[in-house]
Amino acid sequence: MALTITCPVCGKRDGYEFRYGGEDKGPRPDEEGLTPENWCDYVHMNDCVAGIQKEWWYHRDGCGVWFSTHRDTTTNLEISDSEVK
Amino acid sequence: MMNRLKNLPTLRVNTSEKVSVTYRGKQYEGFKGDTVASLLYANGIRIFGRSLKYHRPRGLYSLDGECSNTCMQIDDIPNERAENIPARDGMNIREQNVKGSAEKDMMGFIDKLDWAMPAGFYYHTMHRPAKMWPVAMKQIRKAAGLGTLNQNFNRHERFDEIFPKTEVCVIGGGPAGMAAALEAADKGVRVILLESRPWLGGFYEYRTSVDESGNFLYSKARTLAEKVEAHPDIRVFKHTFMVGAYNNNLITAFQRGGETESFHERYIEIRAQSVVVATGCIERPLIFENNERPGVMQAGCAHRLCRTYGILPGKAAVFSIGHDTGLEAAVDLFDMGLKIACIADLREDGQDPELLEKVKGRKIPYYPGRVATEALGKKRVTGVKVGTIDGTVEETYTCDLVVASAGFTPVTGPITINQGKLKFDEHTGFFLPSVLPDKTHVAGRINGLGNPASIEASGKLAGLRAAAECGKDLTGEIDEAQGELNDLPGPQRGSKFVTGPVSGRKSYICFDEDTTIKNIKQAIRKGFDVPELIKRYTSAGTGPGQGGIPGHNLPLFTAKFKAEENEKIRPTNQRPPLVPLFLSTYAGTNHDMAKRTPMHDRQKKDGGIFRRLGVWRRARYFSNDFSCRKEIENVRNNVGILDGSTLGKFRIHGPDALKALQRVYISNMEKVKQGRVKYTAMCNDDGCVIDDGVITKLAENDYFFTTSTGRAGSTVEWIRYHTRFDGWDFNLVNLTDALGVINLSGPNSRKVIEKVTDQDISDQALPFSGVKEYTISDDIPVTVMRLGFVGELSYELHVPSSYMESAWDLLLEAGKEFHIKNFGVEAQNVLRMEKGHVILGQESEQRTNLTDINMGFLWYRKKKEAKTVGNVALEQTVNDTGRLKLVGIKMKDPSRAPGDGCVIVDDTRVRGYVCTIRKSFSVEGVIGMALVEQPLAKNGTTVFVYEDECKGNLSEAQVVPMPFYDPEGKRMKA
Repeated sequence: MALTITCPVCGKRDGYEFRYGGEDKGPRPDEEGLTPENWCDYVHMNDCVAGIQKEWWYHRDGCGVWFSTHRDTTTNLEISDSEVK
Repeated sequence: MMNRLKNLPTLRVNTSEKVSVTYRGKQYEGFKGDTVASLLYANGIRIFGRSLKYHRPRGLYSLDGECSNTCMQIDDIPNERAENIPARDGMNIREQNVKGSAEKDMMGFIDKLDWAMPAGFYYHTMHRPAKMWPVAMKQIRKAAGLGTLNQNFNRHERFDEIFPKTEVCVIGGGPAGMAAALEAADKGVRVILLESRPWLGGFYEYRTSVDESGNFLYSKARTLAEKVEAHPDIRVFKHTFMVGAYNNNLITAFQRGGETESFHERYIEIRAQSVVVATGCIERPLIFENNERPGVMQAGCAHRLCRTYGILPGKAAVFSIGHDTGLEAAVDLFDMGLKIACIADLREDGQDPELLEKVKGRKIPYYPGRVATEALGKKRVTGVKVGTIDGTVEETYTCDLVVASAGFTPVTGPITINQGKLKFDEHTGFFLPSVLPDKTHVAGRINGLGNPASIEASGKLAGLRAAAECGKDLTGEIDEAQGELNDLPGPQRGSKFVTGPVSGRKSYICFDEDTTIKNIKQAIRKGFDVPELIKRYTSAGTGPGQGGIPGHNLPLFTAKFKAEENEKIRPTNQRPPLVPLFLSTYAGTNHDMAKRTPMHDRQKKDGGIFRRLGVWRRARYFSNDFSCRKEIENVRNNVGILDGSTLGKFRIHGPDALKALQRVYISNMEKVKQGRVKYTAMCNDDGCVIDDGVITKLAENDYFFTTSTGRAGSTVEWIRYHTRFDGWDFNLVNLTDALGVINLSGPNSRKVIEKVTDQDISDQALPFSGVKEYTISDDIPVTVMRLGFVGELSYELHVPSSYMESAWDLLLEAGKEFHIKNFGVEAQNVLRMEKGHVILGQESEQRTNLTDINMGFLWYRKKKEAKTVGNVALEQTVNDTGRLKLVGIKMKDPSRAPGDGCVIVDDTRVRGYVCTIRKSFSVEGVIGMALVEQPLAKNGTTVFVYEDECKGNLSEAQVVPMPFYDPEGKRMKA
């Protein structure tokens, strides 16, 4: 896998070691007053940006941390170090 | 064997060590170091196979595997390039795509039918009438093919894979690549060097001309190679083909193993910080009538046959060349004994005067401005027509060898597959890189350089630049190296000439796919007028050679034919793999990696039959009776022992542990108490149930829980994912491998445990759903949970892994008098099914939610503030009617069970499916569980099971209440 991801704990590592956790959509919404549509949007709908996207990664074969990072989806390159320090 | 030239300083064959192979049932001898192709060529074999479409004879052309000409079947493996495969003793070699032999191919007549097969005939003619297509296709496939597959073939070789990291990766082990590698490594960065031939040296390797200091190029190559191989910071991979380049400079390659290596081929994936591409050039194929007739070969091929393998390629030759190295080859081959009828040089001027002097001195007829127009001879070359470029003069020569080459073509694949861009360069006649991939440098002949000093200087510069990108401060040295290079001769002149004045009917631009100049013209006339379209319409460049032969010739010819401006010419895209390799090589070592429980060997000894289950191998049966009747009955009547170590086991503790549990578990986790286990489940955000298990409280904010076998690997990830925004403070420890689990089930199970511990294990001390610490045999700490998965009095013992065998032995010994016996996963499966207990994944699928499998009782709806995963979706779907529901079913025919997974149907459609079904020994009949549409879920409904190959005879079943066995649960609570 050509992708490299920068883990806030372990540094820049091969993409093989990570699991993708999807686009960053913010915290879970409050349950009060949620419509099925709103809920479905939160769970299933994605922006699918062609460009820079904030997203979640899990260092599965490493330290086991979830963190967010920015990636350019058109080049499949991480554009800066991960956010969580 | 033909007379081989011996004692040449450039030889790569060991003339004292013989190798013997079989070709068409006959033995042929060659030397150690020979490729299959050179060995056969030395034995007088000229026709290596027949072409794909027209069954034209094909022979040795380039020696580097750029076309399928030397594709042969070697030891039952088709499409091996004989020119790249080292000959080994005992190899069995056959030609491909022939009916008869390569010499006498009964399909050879097709060559005359080319008029009936214009470009794109496949698309135009074969589809009408549509019924004819299968017939036509069969015949075409029979006539056109590359080797035959042995259906019983099994690979026995070993494949390997490595994933090295490096600072600089140099592609190409010629003078430029070696100079770059040495320069970078001397600056203190690690270097990996890839070379496709089995030795370093590249363009210098076989040449006896001298550089300005009077050193032979070949000896210079060897000095450089020694330095490179001795350098501690350079890792050299020879006989290694680069196949892919990706962003972040990930380079993939594969290496052929030598006779002493442990692998046949190995996949290499290199993570480099910067890359130097020093791939050099291949020769630009010259296109004329019958330009692929055996006996026609490129200058480098002829030269290397002689210098590297000691084979004089023919007796009398005609050269039609377009560059100085062609002249150099002619002079050198002449000196080695080759008669040369004439040299036609397509250049009018610009030749190296020294070389011209040498040609003159040897009285070789030399004609500038002329080019070969047609090779003569039916199966191999017997002569050649040579004419002026404008077609006004034409002369015929008798010869058995035509050395033909239009110039050089840079090997740009490694740049373009990594999104680099090329631009046509007027001066060199090359497509030169105009946009390079990030942190990539080019060096050597790929830039059009020809002078040895310039080639090495450009390598040095690229090496410095690459090292600088790895954090070395080399500004001054780079400027110096740049200056040095600027003072040396620059890129050599070239042209875009690829073909003389020919009709093109038998002038091949692509050998692999039998595409002629005429075909290209046909495509252009049809409107497919740019190289990418021509490639698809005529299939030029889509063969095994990956565009090696037509790669740059196609755009050059198209531009000339359309009189297009050079600005607009673009070569077709190349894609990885640049060199074909086995899928087995990509697959690598292919271990069947499975985890073993601490009891693996013991169970194996006890006759366990193992099956793969997720990441584990587990004992599924303990006899060849796969109904497991004895195992089941022993659990129901006596006591059985099962290794449940694969169960996921976790501890969660910390101030926010309970909050995390409330988030992921569907029940009210505040109710979890010390000394008691609680059965509960996890859902996903769709309310679909993904895991079940038990949980107990160890202390305040400290819990122990189990998950199903399949979820053990992803539970930490899951819990952390769903709490990632909250910043909660808790620790999660995966104890799956630290603890083993022994499941003791059956009416006698309590008696067994009583014998190994002094502590009280009566129903009062440890009631159903209780959990307690015990010490067995005064030594082994064990957590005992009283559960009832199989529906009997049952204990789950969590034992430290290192104590598992001892604990197991003690229990077996204690259980002897109570008839303790192993039972496997299949017996457990039947036992729990009779009890109506589900296994997630078996009684559920992706769409199955908690209420569908009658587990709604676990769901605690009043913890909205916990934002429990699955709660929202469950609330929203609780009144849905269109869902599959889990029911018990009983077959009308009590003698035989249909298979798991059979669908339940009515007259028109599928209404559900059978999850698990077995002939029961504990209760009457064939019983099981099924997921069916809600209207069928009422007790007493008759449903119909469709089995594979039932030919429409549906089996009848009835929906019945569950559990089937011990509905009141008296036995497990006994």
